[in-house]
Amino acid sequence: MKRKRYLIMNLIAWLIGLVWLVPFIGVLMTAIRPLDELLHGWWNFESVHFTFRNFSASWNHPTAPLSKGIINSLKVAVPSTVFPIIIATMAGYYFSRYRFPLKKFLFTIIILTLALPQQMIAVPVFQMLSSMGLIDSYIGLILLHTAWGLPWITFFMRNFFVTIPVSIEEAARIDGASDFKIFLKIILPLSLPALGSAAALQFNWVWSDFFLALITIYSPDKLLATQRVPLMRGVYHVDWGLLSAAAITVMIVPILVYIFLQKYYVRGMIGWAMK
Amino acid sequence: MRKFIVVSLLILSVLLISKTLTVIGPWAGAEEEKFLPVLKAFEEKTGIKVEYRIYRAEDLANLLPAQFSAGKTPGDVIFMWGWFILDQAKKGHVMEVSDIISEKDYLPGVLNAVKLNGKLYGAAYTGKVKPGFWYRKSFFKKYNLKVPSTWDEFVDLLEKIKKIPGIKAPIASGNGVGWPLSDVTEHFIITFAGPNVHKDLIEGNIKWESHTVRYAFEKLVSLLKKGYFGEPTEWTMALKQWWNGDYGLYFMGSWITGMVDDPDDLGVFALPGAKGVVFGADYAFVPKYTKYPEEAKKLLAFLCGAEGQKYQVQQGGHIATNKLVPLDAYPPVDREVAKIIVKMEALTDLDDSVGGAFQTAFWDQLKLLWVKPDRLDDVLRVLDEKMK
Amino acid sequence: MKKSKLSHFLIFMAPALVLIVTFVIYPSLRTIFTSFLDENGKFSLKNYVEVLKSRDTFDPEGFSRGFPLGTLLHNLIWIAIHLPLTISLGLILAVILRKVKGGNILKSIIFLGMVMPMIVGGVMVRFMFDGSVGVVNGFLRIFGIEGKTWTAYPDTALFSLIFGSVWLWTGFSMVLYSAGLETIPKDFYEAAAIDGATPLKIFFKITIPLLKPVTVVVTIMTLLWELKIFDIVYVATMGGPGGASNVLALQMYTYAFRELNYGKASVVAVILTVSTLLASIPLTKSAGELR
Repeated sequence: MKRKRYLIMNLIAWLIGLVWLVPFIGVLMTAIRPLDELLHGWWNFESVHFTFRNFSASWNHPTAPLSKGIINSLKVAVPSTVFPIIIATMAGYYFSRYRFPLKKFLFTIIILTLALPQQMIAVPVFQMLSSMGLIDSYIGLILLHTAWGLPWITFFMRNFFVTIPVSIEEAARIDGASDFKIFLKIILPLSLPALGSAAALQFNWVWSDFFLALITIYSPDKLLATQRVPLMRGVYHVDWGLLSAAAITVMIVPILVYIFLQKYYVRGMIGWAMK
Repeated sequence: MRKFIVVSLLILSVLLISKTLTVIGPWAGAEEEKFLPVLKAFEEKTGIKVEYRIYRAEDLANLLPAQFSAGKTPGDVIFMWGWFILDQAKKGHVMEVSDIISEKDYLPGVLNAVKLNGKLYGAAYTGKVKPGFWYRKSFFKKYNLKVPSTWDEFVDLLEKIKKIPGIKAPIASGNGVGWPLSDVTEHFIITFAGPNVHKDLIEGNIKWESHTVRYAFEKLVSLLKKGYFGEPTEWTMALKQWWNGDYGLYFMGSWITGMVDDPDDLGVFALPGAKGVVFGADYAFVPKYTKYPEEAKKLLAFLCGAEGQKYQVQQGGHIATNKLVPLDAYPPVDREVAKIIVKMEALTDLDDSVGGAFQTAFWDQLKLLWVKPDRLDDVLRVLDEKMK
Repeated sequence: MKKSKLSHFLIFMAPALVLIVTFVIYPSLRTIFTSFLDENGKFSLKNYVEVLKSRDTFDPEGFSRGFPLGTLLHNLIWIAIHLPLTISLGLILAVILRKVKGGNILKSIIFLGMVMPMIVGGVMVRFMFDGSVGVVNGFLRIFGIEGKTWTAYPDTALFSLIFGSVWLWTGFSMVLYSAGLETIPKDFYEAAAIDGATPLKIFFKITIPLLKPVTVVVTIMTLLWELKIFDIVYVATMGGPGGASNVLALQMYTYAFRELNYGKASVVAVILTVSTLLASIPLTKSAGELR
């Protein structure tokens, strides 16, 4: 009886898994086969030729080459991960250890900003960056992403630091170490898992961003990877094969990050969501 | 004294060399390759260097207002929609060019899009014409089909094509942002409501829900309801399918000649009775904030004058707005199109002329109309609303 | 808790505060401010009236003639369908895949939907529902039903996007519920089994109540996601056809960057923010506890 139930559950589970997987298979098939074979559905295997033409076409697309797009996205995503992590970790630590005036107020503000949609800052930020001459520049976008990431990373790291007993620091303080030294030499090494999680999530988040890039970056050679995808569907020469190859290429980076940092990633999501 | 002359000559030459004009346009890929030779011709003639940068028109619509109000400009000669140029001219950001452009050299009416209070604030370049329904001559030959000369013959033709086995629909419907659908719609408006109504619609002098406009739409809707149009498909995919024989006709612009394997197999006809044709001219202007106003005006005069336009049409796929460009400058297929418009009134693209929020709404509503032709009343009402 | 010193405060907190105030707080306040200005720069409720009365936002005629119904209703419908589906699917999957061979691989596959950029997600959703090459139609063809491009028709556009987004987002609730399940002590189950409870009863009377904190978090995060949805709609339908799949975030973008009407755009942004703030009140309450 129990064995039968076990088998049925396995069957259902794998069926569901298949259902979930099918769209991915579809995209893969469309990307590696010539469009003419796919005009009636990629599940037709009457004539099967594999080709990487779609990948090279999207990689070297005349108007929206992905090769440039991926590099551009990296140029934005890496600083936009490193900076907020550094700044927010310090702030989060401070929240967890010190009293100061307006502390509760500031913390509430930070939590409130977590709910904000990007649309709330879109127009003023566009005007601000425009007057600073930072439209169509990565510096502007990195500043935006850094500022946008600060609230959640601060919250996240603060929650983590709260779980580290103060006693560890007391011992060092008695020995005469300064607060900053304690932070660098004792706290940070202990926080590596949390930092890893925050970094994985923030990187993924920035890489996947579309809206902020849409309103700040305009020059064709500066466009990020995510911006090039809808372009391939919009005004220029488009076909599903090309688009699928582009989708896969843009997906690969965050998926790789996920695969390698899976532990931290998942732990990050859970830790961030639950106290 | 000699030292002084040498030094000042050096400085002068350095200044001349470092003077580089920037042209901003939307063309990329193959289209860009056809545009660069025109710029090169200017460089060779005047010795002034020109650099080309690509920006999509919709992105410029976001970027330029902010730059202009800060007194800056990313380019010396910029190609943009006519309505946008006029908009910026009203705000004082555009240089007047009545002194270098003479209206009589151009197709009648084509410069209206950049004329304000009798003064010209931009010039017309070459453009693409949207002459009518394209077909493959081999396809017509194979199935013994003839180009229609009346509306009834047209409907008969559609019915005949529909019956051909393997055909998805007689007319392919191109989708994407939406303009292939708006091009067809405008063709119907021009044919059944007339060129003057088309102009009135742009000016806002007539309502979409009016009798004459509605009549034109009803002709279109009658074909939609009979299933003569295919389901909106990404327009380049539709092109492939049409070329392969899934569809018989495809309403497209003259740029199609550069997109098929065998342009000589192409044939085109307008709706019987059409007296006007949409001429999608590209317009260019010189922002007031250019560092080199005299050179920029020179470049504009060259590009949009007979010389520049001649170089462009020779590459194929473009039709000139300047009357002084001779017919033999065109490659054969384009010459046919050029001949068609000689007999017709050239009109500007409706949604490009009105622009703004109306354009996006127009496209969106047509996508709706195509799949739900019975919603015509709704669509016309929304169009009137968005015109305000 | 130690008392702070100004020098420390400046080093640890100042950078964060400066950036947040400059790029988040100040712009948000500016947006609220702009929403109350008319074109002459004077205080006025005109923008609010225009937006709330506009057919873009709320179109009751849609009930008789079909979509569009307006962005407010579209987002609400999105929530009404997407929220219960992803929560229940996520929970069921978490339970089933715990004991199944290769469950972790399956979980990873399902989670991929969350990892990819949503712009790509939107492309995949558009692709799934395409008339000729979409997988949904391929499936229907097995039953002899001939499909069409579901995202091109007003009455099905929004629903295609919603169901596509369920496929994308379920991984999130599944992962959180999986973690939550791990925290339930085994003795609870054993005790219940000894008392003769069926697996179903255990599920409803023990598992679900114990997972309530997770459910709260998943609900709120999902609500926020549904309210802010943008990328998917932008690339799959651009809100069309005829506005039949338009959503608040896209409406804001269109007003701001296509119509260049910052007043109306700010109103939509404010409406969005009020909704998201309301939705995250429980989160704020629990997270606001300071030590």
